[in-house]
Amino acid sequence: AGIIFPERTKLKFMDKVPAVPKVRREPRRLRDIRGPSQVATDFTQGQYGIMALGGGYLHWGHFEMIRLTIGRSMDPKTMFAIWRVPAPYKPVTRKSLGHRMGGGKGPIDHYVTAVKSGCLVVEVGGRCEFGEVKPFLTQVARKLPFPAVAVSRDGLQQMRQEEEEKKLNNQNPWTFERVVTANMLGMRKYLSPYDLRLKGRYWGKFFLKHRV
Amino acid sequence: APLSSGWLPALQFVRRGSKAVTRHWKAMHFQRQKLMAVTEYVAPRPAVPPRCLAPRKETLEKDNGYVRLLRRQVEEVFRNNRLIAVCQYNSMPGEDVVLMRHYLRKHNIEVKFVLNEIVRPVLSQSKYKNLLPLFVARNILLVSREAKVKEMLRVLKGVPQINLLGACIDDTILSRQGVENFAKLPSLEASQGQTVGALALLPSQTSSLLQRGSAPLTALLDQHIRRLQAGETGSPAEPSPAQSSG
Repeated sequence: AGIIFPERTKLKFMDKVPAVPKVRREPRRLRDIRGPSQVATDFTQGQYGIMALGGGYLHWGHFEMIRLTIGRSMDPKTMFAIWRVPAPYKPVTRKSLGHRMGGGKGPIDHYVTAVKSGCLVVEVGGRCEFGEVKPFLTQVARKLPFPAVAVSRDGLQQMRQEEEEKKLNNQNPWTFERVVTANMLGMRKYLSPYDLRLKGRYWGKFFLKHRV
Repeated sequence: APLSSGWLPALQFVRRGSKAVTRHWKAMHFQRQKLMAVTEYVAPRPAVPPRCLAPRKETLEKDNGYVRLLRRQVEEVFRNNRLIAVCQYNSMPGEDVVLMRHYLRKHNIEVKFVLNEIVRPVLSQSKYKNLLPLFVARNILLVSREAKVKEMLRVLKGVPQINLLGACIDDTILSRQGVENFAKLPSLEASQGQTVGALALLPSQTSSLLQRGSAPLTALLDQHIRRLQAGETGSPAEPSPAQSSG
């Protein structure tokens, strides 16, 4: 029903190093892993996809693995797949092995893409059912460095609905959000200012699914 | 006026330990752990626990063609065979099962494995309602066209794992004792001969009955004749009194 197939149905090849490699070494900035994602949270073209349930970095090896697995398992005539995540852009430095601390920052080793929780990595669509797509999407999701699930549009909607229902029918009168916003018992001394936004569902790069 | 009015911040963050985002699960401050424990999700409990409500009996009457076929087969079995024996079946090694089947097949008895859930509705609708309590737990059916009970019992005695529960022979329901008694009964020819003999007993007795009145007299006369004949060897006397009375 109104499915638009892109030009190339298979996943595009992602290069290891961006076309213009970075000269200046960048600080680590781990906050691009922390918290929920604001980018690529909803489906655009496809109907099924892999959603990240935790933060992490994807490097070229992961990209190749995804590209090849999905390319092998899908039918390019009836299905298509697109990346929802940019090619590696963030430089990661590594010092050579066996050296002592000091001597400045190491040279750039490789590039990675940062992925936050709730971000879609790939999208698959076309004339296919979720049952056909689910096996290889779960296979890929298991191999990623962060916990991930294969979702469909309906599945994602249902997940969000369940979350809201949980929030509404929670019998516990004390919620993290309430305690933090009112700074009950001086709890904010032990919590980070980011917890106001993260509301106890995120801890470091981990997404705590079972918390309200 | 003071030289420079500066101020110290009220909160001093401690720069110790790891950063906020780590690869491993960072250990939480105990107060934070307590807060996480207190603010966990508590699911709503229904007013009546589901255990107290009546269980939803999902009667899946899947009208399988397979189930219907099995039922038809069971009905056929009950119609065609004269002898149907129900036995309890404890797990036997496979070879023993094959051996037993072989022996019984020689006497033209077939072994059938049936499922209770198929047999019970079939029985309750037919006239064999009293066989219903037998079909509980694992059981097998031994069916045959002739009633060779003695051989069947012999085979079953050799196999300890199969116990006879009951049988339906010629539309008569027999318990275990009844089956044994049935086996002890002589065969048809023997019983026929027995009845003939019993019937022929009376006419065979009629001749002796009729002769009973005159039997002592004839015995007496015979004795007399013998005495006279014995006396005749000493002195030749006439057997005329024996002739006149004979």
